[in-house]
Amino acid sequence: MIQSVEKIYSDNEFNYQVIFVDGTISFVPHNEANRHYQEILEWVAAGNTITDPGA
Amino acid sequence: MPLNTIPNKGLTSRGYPSDRLVTPIIINGDMSVAQRGTSETGLRNTGGVYLIDRWAYRRSGTFTTDTFDMSQSTDVPSGQGFVKSLKMDNLSTQSSPPNPTYSAIAQNIEGQNLQMLKKGTSNAESITISFWVKSNKTGTYILEVRDSDNGRTINKSYSINSASTWEKKTISYDGDTSGVLDNDNATSFEVTWFLSASANFTSGTLQTSWGTLTNENRAVGQVNLLDDANNEWYITGVQLEVGEFDSTTLPSFPFESFASNLQRCQRYYQKSYNIGTTAGTATSDGIMLGIRGNGAFAGATRLPVVMRTAPTLTIYSNTTGASGKVRNADTGSDETASTNGVSDNSFNAQGTTSSISTVYQFQYVAEAEL
Repeated sequence: MIQSVEKIYSDNEFNYQVIFVDGTISFVPHNEANRHYQEILEWVAAGNTITDPGA
Repeated sequence: MPLNTIPNKGLTSRGYPSDRLVTPIIINGDMSVAQRGTSETGLRNTGGVYLIDRWAYRRSGTFTTDTFDMSQSTDVPSGQGFVKSLKMDNLSTQSSPPNPTYSAIAQNIEGQNLQMLKKGTSNAESITISFWVKSNKTGTYILEVRDSDNGRTINKSYSINSASTWEKKTISYDGDTSGVLDNDNATSFEVTWFLSASANFTSGTLQTSWGTLTNENRAVGQVNLLDDANNEWYITGVQLEVGEFDSTTLPSFPFESFASNLQRCQRYYQKSYNIGTTAGTATSDGIMLGIRGNGAFAGATRLPVVMRTAPTLTIYSNTTGASGKVRNADTGSDETASTNGVSDNSFNAQGTTSSISTVYQFQYVAEAEL
């Protein structure tokens, strides 16, 4: 279960740093075939916001 | 000839050796590979929880109390060659499941691994699913095959007749002449063993022929495994065969070597740790290295098995076990990790120090489950 999501930029790419409610920190690619990316989309659809510090 | 391609004894009902000559369609059907660990406690409202490789706890709706502990068990049917099973240990005493909810164990299958079924054509193949199951809770249970590409399901019941006794079940499902499965790496079939289901999923008529997914027809008759905290449910020896079989014609279980089974599981989950070491353990056994180049990542971690898709990566400091951290080998301190160049076969990881030739150490888990 997702607690927070931040967009992370690195070497002209980005992915999503996800903190889950159990405290685990993971990196999720911007890839529709990835189930955690799908979870991010659902989390956003539920009214949550991705933190985007900019490139 | 690899072990898992040795033909079965005899011929199938279709007059030629089983399609299992290729590889088992269900992965880790003997529950022997459990890279994540051997127990997961307090399941409730998080779906898609994996413990034994490829097997997920799934649920719908909202439970107000914990439902199950899930574990890898050594309780197995005697004399069948199995050494592990999946155990669901109920935690609650809900006389009826809150509506709308269900709880279940499932394995999802990629569409590109199901094209031989010729689903959606006039030549669509039947399938047969067989498994060993045991529970103190006797009665009717539902096993669903869901075509998630086309929103279609077929649902069959099985009975646990004797309490706390291993029983082998063999259930056939007709071929479906509607709904072609996508030929890709996404889920096409969800094979789901219901454990509980509320009225929202039981109030209709069980859909025993392929048809459009209708929630109230999915789990009609399903017993409520949530009604007594002493309830347990075990499963192992799951196989899915192409064609229609009964208990006398079913091919024997497609046992694989542990190495072969593990390799197929690693398409969906792999880690740098030793097989028996839990992710997040502080250890240098199996550590990876990342090196900072001139203003960019340098040096990639090559994944030993090509994954289903670009994975979710969890990076751990090898020294502290903290997630989201790498260990700067020069300073001997943890730094916030970042990843780059993630593909289905490699990735880069590094910390925050951008000095050229900085060496980072880390462990990883890569997950590309369905």
